Amino acid sequence: MTSTSSLRNKRERTNFGGASPHWFFVAPALVIVFAILIFPVLYSIYMSTYDWHLFYSIDKKFVAFKNFVELFKDSEFLHSLWLQFGFVVIALPIETIIGFFVALLLNRDGKFYTVVRSLLLLPVFILPVISGLTWRLLLQPEYGMVSFFLEKMGFGVKAWLAEPDFAYGMVIVQDVWRMWPFMFMFIYAGLSGVPREMLEAAEIDGASFWKKVFKIILPQLRPTIATALLLRLVDALRIFSEVYVMTGGGPGNSTMLLSLYVNKQAFEFFNIGYAAAMGVVLLIIALGLAFFIVGGNIRFEGERG
Amino acid sequence: MRRIKKRIISLIIVIITLTVLIVELMPILVVITSGFKRDIDIWARGPFYFKPTLESYKQVLSNRDLLMSLKNSLLVGFISTFISIIVGAMASYGLTRYVFKFKETIAYMFLSFRMIPQISLVIPLYVMFSFLKLRDTLTGIVLAHISFNIPYVIWLLLPFFAAVPCDYEEAARIDGATEMQVFWKIFFPLVSPGLVVASVFAFLMSWNEFLYALILSSVNAKTAPVAVNGLLGQYAPKWGQLTAAGTIMLIPVFIITLTLQKYIIKGLVSGGIKG
Amino acid sequence: MKRVLAVLFLLGLLGITLAAPYNTTIRVLAWDDALTQALKAGLPDFEKATGIKVVLELVPSGNLLQKIGVSVSVNKTDYDLVTVDEPFIPSLAHLMMPFDRWGSGKVFKKPPLNVFAPNAFEAAQWGGVFVGMPINANVYIWITRKDLINDPKNKSEFKSKYGYDLSVPKTFKQLRDMAEFFASKGIYGFAPFTKQTEGSTAEAIFMFEAFGTSPLTVEGGKVVVSLDEKKAVEAINFYKELLKFAPPGALDMGHAERIAAFNQGKVFTMFQWPALVPQHEDPNNSLVAGKIVYSAPPVGPVKGSAIRGCWVLAMPNATKNKEAAVEFAYWWASLETGQKLIPKGFTPARADLLLNPNFNKDRPWFKAIFDSMRNAVARPRFIRYPEASQIIRDNWLAAISGKVTPEEAVRKMKNDLNELIKK
Repeated sequence: MTSTSSLRNKRERTNFGGASPHWFFVAPALVIVFAILIFPVLYSIYMSTYDWHLFYSIDKKFVAFKNFVELFKDSEFLHSLWLQFGFVVIALPIETIIGFFVALLLNRDGKFYTVVRSLLLLPVFILPVISGLTWRLLLQPEYGMVSFFLEKMGFGVKAWLAEPDFAYGMVIVQDVWRMWPFMFMFIYAGLSGVPREMLEAAEIDGASFWKKVFKIILPQLRPTIATALLLRLVDALRIFSEVYVMTGGGPGNSTMLLSLYVNKQAFEFFNIGYAAAMGVVLLIIALGLAFFIVGGNIRFEGERG
Repeated sequence: MRRIKKRIISLIIVIITLTVLIVELMPILVVITSGFKRDIDIWARGPFYFKPTLESYKQVLSNRDLLMSLKNSLLVGFISTFISIIVGAMASYGLTRYVFKFKETIAYMFLSFRMIPQISLVIPLYVMFSFLKLRDTLTGIVLAHISFNIPYVIWLLLPFFAAVPCDYEEAARIDGATEMQVFWKIFFPLVSPGLVVASVFAFLMSWNEFLYALILSSVNAKTAPVAVNGLLGQYAPKWGQLTAAGTIMLIPVFIITLTLQKYIIKGLVSGGIKG
Repeated sequence: MKRVLAVLFLLGLLGITLAAPYNTTIRVLAWDDALTQALKAGLPDFEKATGIKVVLELVPSGNLLQKIGVSVSVNKTDYDLVTVDEPFIPSLAHLMMPFDRWGSGKVFKKPPLNVFAPNAFEAAQWGGVFVGMPINANVYIWITRKDLINDPKNKSEFKSKYGYDLSVPKTFKQLRDMAEFFASKGIYGFAPFTKQTEGSTAEAIFMFEAFGTSPLTVEGGKVVVSLDEKKAVEAINFYKELLKFAPPGALDMGHAERIAAFNQGKVFTMFQWPALVPQHEDPNNSLVAGKIVYSAPPVGPVKGSAIRGCWVLAMPNATKNKEAAVEFAYWWASLETGQKLIPKGFTPARADLLLNPNFNKDRPWFKAIFDSMRNAVARPRFIRYPEASQIIRDNWLAAISGKVTPEEAVRKMKNDLNELIKK
């Protein structure tokens, strides 16, 4: 039954009548997710090898990798990739930094702070479509509140969403506004796991605020922040509704983020084979980025004592 | 002297907090107040013009279709969150606290399933659900939602489970606890902050989810986002009703967050071993 | 005794057949707005008259096509009737049953083609066959501020400056002159549609057709690129002229912006879709309610080119409830149903309803719709319409915003369309 030789083997001790306990815990999730998704996943890979128009399913043609080759020659796709990359690289760090400092700020007890924390999450909760539409309203040149303030600050009256660079910038602003509280909430939850004694010991040693942040809090929070970034990345790569109702991908192509382009191919042009190929490519890119973020930051093993 | 310094710092923090709150919530206030304005006032008058009317709310609350969809969303939300949390927490625990072959592969497989765009998956899901007679059923929507929420919860909880020191486990095992008891009695409470965050966001993902609900439901299993999307109109959105419905949709999630916050108990992880 | 029983039995049978000719359920997929919601209210009466239970699913029009694509195929369909926006008829025509093969209906009779407004049925045409029935008359109409026209000061100033009477613009030249006139008085003469959606394609085609050309035409059963570069450039330049008299943000105007601008009294004249007209006449939403005169759009140098955009009611070939489905279609298109639905915002496709004086009293735009229909043109018919629409729209918007010269834009449009056809 048990091997008393090393710490490592201790965890393989079982009292499940011989069966390995880890399967018991992991099996339900595995079975459920697989049962629901294995057919769709395989089918979408199947779709990606066809030249397939949804209304003409009878006429679909097998083209193996041709869709993928087309993709890399597709300037609109590459442009969307670039826009998406820029979006992620700019928005996510800003959201994390703001979230981190606000988490430190609001890491206090009391009903007041409980309510404040919940209120701060409202932008995360609001239906994406409504967020996008509201920002469109706020950026209206003549009557929008944000336009009003920007004008007062000296930027003049502009149709913000009508100019390519500004529209892209505003799409990023919308996301930062909406999602930094998500990072905040996550980090705040993680803060509760920072051992109090470590902080108290540091205080006794006379460490300054910044020292505490960099030497104790941040290292302890690395797995939490990495996970938050990962989860945020997964959703940021798929951002759709907010941008769609705010700009429709325009002006021109300046805000045609990836999922807007996938949506266009899949649900406006109905080239579902091509869109499925995009899905596969997206998955590979996302996995690559995930490996990068997880790296050494998220450990799959419990702490050693 | 010390006390006064502490009080001043507290006050400064409150002021900073309120500033952050007001700036951040300004667009939300726009949404909430727009629900009480006439459509023309929302679009055409300045942002500070406010002549309240209950017309939009009356129309939203008398819209039986919308009310039904809200009820559906609540059911689907709670059920899918409950399942995802239980199943996801178990899997997350299994993946972090045990050493076994393929565990990283399995973890990444869950992640991949979460990362495939929904657009790719929705058409085959439709075909599958048609065959299984799950189309336009709440069960179908719940299944569709847990398919992305379970991987989400698993990954969300990973750092929380991993952060628990081994001593707890060993102490419990020495005391003769079964594996299941170790999980339920020791770990589950210890990762409560993670569970709170996971519950709130899993519920939110289900509550706001649109694409699956649109394609996989018809008239019976319609959820709130699909119904609210109808207010976008073929040409121009019905702003008043849209923001009224949007505000109503904020309430359940807000309440859940408020209530669950008390479970984020701090400093649990340290301190416990000494006892 | 036996005879009495036999008679009673026959009477009973007769009674049953008369009472409920059908005993089935049909599923209808339609767009979501006040009209279709009002349709729901009439369903119990329909069921009583025919015994057909209708499951009416309403979906926002942006998602309608997706649902059709997923649910309707050559040999299987989840819906017995669907509504299709006319530009998409070519791509779905092969899945739908031609109208002339639709049954004649037991309870509600099939309407003859001439009951509909002129040109309306063209909405359902592809390959010389009508694959459905137009259910509403949606076509460009023109809205103008009659209070501005009737103002004596405006009238005399305009006459002295331009040499003819101020009126509802009937030609493009008049449109330009009047737009310029009012712009000098601080009112925007004209409001365009420039968002990157279907609305801009409609504007582009409206202009092109008015100058006598169209990007794609069907010749001998095939679709060819038929854009006359010279005429297209003229059209673009004219529109750019008009843009000078448009509100700020003119390069990013969608329905919401246009409606807002007009309702605040800032615009003299512009096109509008009939479905949106109630928003202009709602005193809660519009400062100019009651001050609007409706007409067909001004005629271009070559012809009148009101863009038509009817919803077509189509029946998938694969449906198993053909007879029941057509009953619902004919009921929807019937005179009685139309009369009940018009107060809820229905824009009928039937000429008798459009020209009915009762309705015209409160809805003067009905006559405008009828007139406009006479000159209705369709956007290019093509099975890959969405992609074609995007090409047309992108190049059109690039040209009118000055990003590229009109000549370049037109050339690129032709090139890209040719590429698309080759696929």
